[in-house]
Order: sequence, then structure tokens, then C-alpha cells
Amino acid sequence: MGKQLRTEVMTINMGPQHPSTHGVIRFIIKTDGEIVHECEPDVGYLHRSIEKIGELMTWQGFVPFTDRVDYLASMNANWAYCTAVESMIGTVVPRRAEFLRVMVGELNRISSHLIAIGATSMDLGGFTPFIQLLREREYINDLLEMACGARLTYNYMCIGGVLYDVPANWNEKVAEFLTHFELAMEQMNRLISYNRIFINRMANVAPVSREQAIGYNLVGPNLRGSGVQFDLRKNHPYSVYPELEFDIPYGQGREGQVGDSYDRYYVRLEEIRESIKIIRQCIKMIPEGDIQAKVKNSIKPPKGVFHSKTETPRGETGYLIESNEKTSAYRIKIRTGSFTAMSIIPELAPGLFIADLIALIGSLDVVAPELDR
Amino acid sequence: MNMTPQRSSVRQYFHNMINGITSMYEGMSITLASCFFRAQTIQYPDVDVSSHETLIKDYKGNLRGIPENYRGMLDVDMATCTACLICMRACPIDCIIITNVKCDKETFLGSTGKKAIKTRAATRFDIDMGKCMFCGLCSLPCPTGAIFHTKEFDATPDNLEALVQKYVTPEEAERLEKRAVEIAEEAQIAKAAKAAKAAEKAKQEAEAAEKAKPEAKANDPKTTEES
Amino acid sequence: MLIETMTSLGVPELLAQFIYAVLIAFLCVNFIAIYAGVVSVVERRVAAKMQSRVGPNRVGPQGALQWLADGIKLILKEDLIPNGADKFLFKLAPFLMASGVAGAFIVLPWGPSSVIGADLNVGLLYLISVTALVAIATLMAAWASNNKWSLLGGMRAAAMIVSYEIPVAMGLLPAIMIAGSLQVSVLMDAQGWAPWDWIVFNNPFAMLGFLLFVTGSVAESNRTPFDLTEAESELVAGYATEYSGFRFAVFTLAEFANTWVVGAVGAAIFLGAGHAPPILSSLPGIEVVIFVGKTMFMVLILMWFRWTLPRFRIDQMMDFSWKYMLPLSLIAFFGQAIYFLGTWDQPGIQIVVSHLMVLAFLGLLFLFLNRVMINFKHQAVVVNSPQTELAYLEKIGKIKPKVVESDVATEEAP
Repeated sequence: MGKQLRTEVMTINMGPQHPSTHGVIRFIIKTDGEIVHECEPDVGYLHRSIEKIGELMTWQGFVPFTDRVDYLASMNANWAYCTAVESMIGTVVPRRAEFLRVMVGELNRISSHLIAIGATSMDLGGFTPFIQLLREREYINDLLEMACGARLTYNYMCIGGVLYDVPANWNEKVAEFLTHFELAMEQMNRLISYNRIFINRMANVAPVSREQAIGYNLVGPNLRGSGVQFDLRKNHPYSVYPELEFDIPYGQGREGQVGDSYDRYYVRLEEIRESIKIIRQCIKMIPEGDIQAKVKNSIKPPKGVFHSKTETPRGETGYLIESNEKTSAYRIKIRTGSFTAMSIIPELAPGLFIADLIALIGSLDVVAPELDR
Repeated sequence: MNMTPQRSSVRQYFHNMINGITSMYEGMSITLASCFFRAQTIQYPDVDVSSHETLIKDYKGNLRGIPENYRGMLDVDMATCTACLICMRACPIDCIIITNVKCDKETFLGSTGKKAIKTRAATRFDIDMGKCMFCGLCSLPCPTGAIFHTKEFDATPDNLEALVQKYVTPEEAERLEKRAVEIAEEAQIAKAAKAAKAAEKAKQEAEAAEKAKPEAKANDPKTTEES
Repeated sequence: MLIETMTSLGVPELLAQFIYAVLIAFLCVNFIAIYAGVVSVVERRVAAKMQSRVGPNRVGPQGALQWLADGIKLILKEDLIPNGADKFLFKLAPFLMASGVAGAFIVLPWGPSSVIGADLNVGLLYLISVTALVAIATLMAAWASNNKWSLLGGMRAAAMIVSYEIPVAMGLLPAIMIAGSLQVSVLMDAQGWAPWDWIVFNNPFAMLGFLLFVTGSVAESNRTPFDLTEAESELVAGYATEYSGFRFAVFTLAEFANTWVVGAVGAAIFLGAGHAPPILSSLPGIEVVIFVGKTMFMVLILMWFRWTLPRFRIDQMMDFSWKYMLPLSLIAFFGQAIYFLGTWDQPGIQIVVSHLMVLAFLGLLFLFLNRVMINFKHQAVVVNSPQTELAYLEKIGKIKPKVVESDVATEEAP
């Protein structure tokens, strides 16, 4: 071709303020106009020292702060912390409380995935599905508001059970909502998931192989999208999950390679369907009884280091708690799924269009509060 | 890594075209159907959102009003507060500040239905609503139900100082402190009186015991004379 | 007509023509300004309707004066020119874009085929050429902004507009062949009031031409699904990122005015512009009403596209234009030519074919509306019905009525 044309690579900033990074995340992108050569994420803009605050709060007083670690899936975040402390002091949670926890946890999983799907669609230009899915999410918020009194940061769980009992007609309301929601969700599915433009934008974009996914420690739908059938609710079950029947969806290369963005997106969609199944079973199986185990007012767990992990909508959330037999922890470390999903972006970004980078971030479901805590 | 597969077969070409048209057809029909669906927006404050019944005539039961255990702004009923400081200790961010003094003893029924004995009164009960995160950890352990969440959510004041809600007026605080001082004095006096009475009683008993001893010795002649 | 009256009053011919041109330009620009404002409010209300929300409804009755509020706000904003920007080009770009779109207005009809600003005998060719000024203005704005993101947007826009000129022009060719002229009034008069007399239902290749024209025009006016030049979630506002205040308003104005151009050309050339059925033809101004109705129908379809479909990526858009739309436009052109050759002296076949097309379209419309009804039923499943409320459940005995504690408590006196 003769002498190579001298080209320059420009460094641009997909800065902290940007309409499509979900929260305040900064990417420093080196691009030659359309193709990304290098992408370096810069995190920490939403750091709120929640882990440090844990050293000052009492064990029960820290629960509202776990709400804010991931405010889109606040029930599951509460649950992760409460199981950690309960395993430390050896409390047995009453059965009704366990079922209530599963029900609200799965409802919150549905609403978190609705935001993930909707935000992906909005980043790609389809504004309507996002708002229609938010309409469904409002119904879920109504149900959870009936149970605990708040719509986003629930503070519903306590060490030993749940704090409030649900109203007498809650089961009927949940069943009615699920009937409506199944049809509405399938409709939104037909609007985006089978749309040729959407498939072209997401299929074969940034495929992640099995080895890469396990090597980079991806969790949750990101891991399952690459074909690895691993879910904490089946592999390391906790609470009443052993008694419930559900499947684990995983990526099968529906429209392109296994582990591309479309697979990760589709795994989330299937997880919503599985959650609906779980909630229906819980409605049938939930017993009457206590909602809280008897726990001392000022908890003093034994000395040592404890670890617990639960399956939140964004993957496996692990709590490593070190206690010194005081009324507050010595050290709390929270490990969330969004953090490792960020770590794989510099590996996958070279060679993508900028538009594909947006699709990739959307399909990995990175939310800034969980990233920076 | 990013290219859609360009399988250059004629089948793929026509498949793309047909698929594109059919998926667009379905998508357009869904959005047209959405046009005829009622809007979800509750146009507050033109609409009364306080309960399901008030909303039902506008939105035909599609949306709910505020439920019973909604965690709105906090309110304290000082008549039933026993100043036990449980809510102050339970609050994770220390936005409740209470100082209490002794007061006259009262027994009454709390709003939870249980009997309560009030021996202390609060001379200062401040809740900093600017810090409050509406977590509900103060209202759950209250034994009389004095501190509770209302259904009010629209409570923006127009200056920063008004964010700190004070539930004990300065006059009331002064009165309680004076009363507490009086009670302390009364207690002091009562204690002194009790101590004096006890001392006197002890003295009397000691005298009686002393008297009884020599009398017991000269009992026979004396008692025969007196009786 | 106006020119004759002026020359008969003694005004020199050149001056009369000049006055006439200024008058037409004045009317067109005013129309663009008001139309762009009103249609921006209409677009927001339509978008809200599709998304189960309400949209602007506070300023004026049902929000009809929202455009005034927005316009005044934009005019009152500070006029920022970024540091290092090329001042002359930066200031020129919005007005070049607006003039490119406004220049297309003089060949547009307003109802009857005699009411056209300038009935050029190369009307359609002029229209396509003038709207190409938009491409130059976009590049100018992108370059002069001194902003890498804007430059990206501008480069994409230039590539896109150039490649979509071809399907637009070739989509118009079947209509031109049927009417035999590029002149807009001749094209309008070649149609009648009945749907089977419209050019779009004349034969399948004209229908194909119409679809190509519409798709290409959506791309030309930078609307979703082709709006990656101003892709909100990627580049904030693309080539117009650094513009604020009135200059930004001019960009938006030009984009909305372009929708009227697309609608008017589609209605005039394909959809039987302005011709009224005989029973209504005696009403004054009926042709204007029918023409405006058809144009707004086209504009609403453009809005419908915008709020349904996600957007294309740049290489997919180029693919779409060169690999899918170009062969289709060639098929439309040659197919129309062969159809004419075959049926030139048999008008009977032409009438049968056009009637069959109308029937096929009505059948498709019926199926579509059926699908809409099914989708509506899917959304209309009731939530929060009275059947799940406490009172009803207590009545049918499914739950026990709750014992209110305060009633019990007052009996226990301390």
C-alpha cells in the first residue's frame, strides 16, 4: 500500500457526567475516531466510605447503610449482611421470615433486572421500553411499600428475621400483580429482544469466553451469560432455596457467540421468568408464625473473621466481617459483582466501536453505587 | 471481535430483511397499543394521594395511595413518652437528642395497648429531620408508641433551622426542671425525714430495750405494785 | 398572480418579482418558526402517550404554549462561543442549516396545486439538491466547535447524509415516471381523490418507492433510528454539543422543519395531495385541510418510528444503505419501467392492479389493527383491583377481620 499514513489517536473522556454510564463512572478512551484502542476506567466518584461507617455503627444500625450499597436491589443487599451476622451469632431465622425474605428478595431481583434491561435499551436508543418497564417497577414498589413503608431503601430485614409483617391481603396482591406482569413483560420482550436492530447491536459484541469469565472472576448473570452454570442459590444454597424448584438460565449463543452481550442480556430476561416461578411457589408455601427471632438488644458476636455470600441481582455479594466482641464490627468488607465487571472492560474494549462500548457497559449491568460503595 | 457475521449467503440477506420487517411490525403495533393505555402519572398536588379510595375515582383502582405503614415524617406524642431513651440509642445516625429528668409518677396506657409507667420526663426532645433517613429503627422498639411515622412526605421548611423539630417548648422544659428540682428536694426531705424517723425509732427501741433490761431485773416487786 | 397585479399597477417587473420572493420567504420562515415550536410540543405529548405518562401540560391549555416558554428561555440564554472555536464558521453553521431546509419550502404545495411558492419545472430535483446544504452545515458545526465528540458526530453525519441521498432520489423515480414530470403541480394533478388514484397504490413498485423515500428521509433528517449523529446517550448532542441558546434553537428548528418537508413531499407526490371527494369539494379550503391532514399523518408516523426503534450503529447504517436500500431502489426503478412497458396501452390492467393494491393494503391494515388490539389486551390486565382489597376479602371470608387494639385497650382501665 505504500507508506503508512500517519494517524493520531485521540484521548477522550467519557466523563463522570455522561447520560449513559449508569452513575458517575469515568472512562479514559483512546480512539482513532470510531474504534476504541484502549479504555481505562476511573472509579471512585461515588465512594461514600460505607465500609468505614460499618466500624462505627451497631450491628443492627448498619442495616440501613447496606440499603445504600446498591439501592436498586436494596432487599438483597440487606439480606446479604443479615445472613452474615446471623451466621456469626448462630440465630435461626423463623420459617415465615425466611419465606418473606425470599419473596421480597425475588421481587427486588425482578425490579433490578427491569432497570438493567430498560437502561440497556435506552442506551441503544429505544426510549419507550425503559419507561414501560419502569411502569411495571412502580407496581413492585407499591407492593414493597405495603410491606415495609418505603419505596427504594427498604430497611426491611433485621438480624433474626424481618422487621414488619405484611398486610393480610399481600399474597393476593402479589399474585394479581404477577398475572399482569407476565403478559406485560412478554410484550416488552417482543418490542426489544426480537427486534432486528437491537439484535444487530448486541449480538457478537464483546464475547467473553468461559475461561475469561472465570479468570476475571465475573459473577451473576455476567458469568452465566458465558455458559457457566453457576448460581449460589443452587450451588451453595441458603435460606429456603433448597425447597423451591427453579432453573438456572445460562448463555447459549442465541444470536451470536456464546458469552456476547446479547447472551448476558437474555440471561437477565430469563431470570425474571424464574423469579416469577419462585414467588408463585412461595405464595403457596408460606406459613404463619413469627417474623423475628429473639435476639439480644446489643449484639456481641464472638471474636473472629466470618464470610457469607448471597446471590444478589448483580452477582455474588460477599461480606467479610471481622469482629472483636464489641457492639460494632472491627472491619466489614463488601465485595460486589459490579466491581469485577469493571475490571474486564479494559480487556474487552480494544477493537469495539464507541457505540459498542456503551452496549457492553449496559450488558454488564454496572451500577456506580455498588462499584464505589 | 465486534463484527456481525457477514455470512454472505443469499439466505442470510433475505432472512435479515424479512426479520427486520416483521420485528418492526410487531414493535410498532406494541407502541400503538401503548397509546391507548391510561397514563400512569399521578398529578400531585392536583390529586389527593392520601389513600386508595381518594385515588380510585381518578385512576380506576390502577394505582394505590399511601399505605398504612408508610414511613413518612416522624412525630412524637409527648403525653405518652416516658423518656426511656430507647429511640435515641437505636438511631444509627444520632439524630434524636433527649435529656430527661425525674418527674411525678404516672401510669397510663400506651398506644400499643400496654401499660406504661412514667417516672421520667424529657426536657429536650430534638429530632434533626435533616439527618433522618426514615429507616424506622426508632419507632419499632418504642414501648408506648410515642414516636411514630406519619403519612406526611411533603414537609420542606423554608429555613434550615426549622429542620430540627423540637418537641419540648422552653417553658415546658423550665417547668419540668423546676419540678424535678422540687421532686429532688422533696425526695431529699423525705429521705431525711425517713432517716430521722428511722433514727428516732431506733433510739426509741434502744431506750425501750434499755428500760426493759433494768425493769426486767426489778420486775417482780415493781410489777406487783403497778398491777 | 401577485406579480401580474403589481406590474399592472406600474411596478417594474424585476422589483415585483423581488417583492414577491421576499414575501414568500417571509411567510415560509415564519411558518417554519411557528410550526417547529408547535410540533415539538406535539412530539413530546405523543411520546408521553406511548410511554404511559402525560408530557408537558402546564403552560397554556394542555401545554400548547410550551414552545413559547422554551423559545423564550433559549433566547435569553448566554451566547457562548467556546475557546478556540472557529468563530465565523461556528456562527454560520446553524443559519446555513436553516436556510437549506427553508429553501425547500418554496417548492412545496399548500393544498391546491396552484398554491406553490415557485412552481419550478425541475421542482423535485431542486428539492433534493437544496436539502444537501444540511450536510455542509453539519460538518461546519462539528469542525468549528473545537470538541472531539462533536467532530465524531459530524463525521458520522456527513457519511450518512451522502449515502442516503440515493435511496431518496431513486424512491421518487417511480412517481416521476408515472406522472411524467419533475414539476410538483403536475405530479399533484396526476392523482385523484380516491386511494386507487394515488401514486402510492398504483403498482407495487411505486409502493416500494414510497417506502424507500420515507426511510431515506428519516435518515436525512437525523431522526431515530438513524440519529447516531446526535445520539443522546453517546455524544450528548453530537455536532450541536457546544451550541447553546438561540443557536441551538435554530438547529432544532431546522430538524423539525425537515419533518414537514418530508411529510409534505410524501403527501403531495404519493398520497394524492389535497384532492377532495366530490361531496366535499364545494367546501372552501377543503383542499388545504386535506393536504395538511395528510402531511401531519406522515409526521406522526415519523414520530411513531422515533419512539419505537433503537438506533443503528454507523457501520450497520452504511450496510443498510448500500447493501439493502440501493438494490431495492434499483428494483423499484427498473420494475416500474418494465411495468410501464408491459401495460402502456392497457389501462385496464393498471386499474385492476391499483385496486388490488388498495385491497391488499386494507387487509394488512386490518391485520395490524388486530395485533394492536391483542397487545392492548395484554397491557390492560388489571392490577390493584377491588377483589384484592381488605374489605372484599373479609366479606368473602378469606381473611379474618383485624381486631383493632384500641377498642380492647380502653376497657382495661389502669
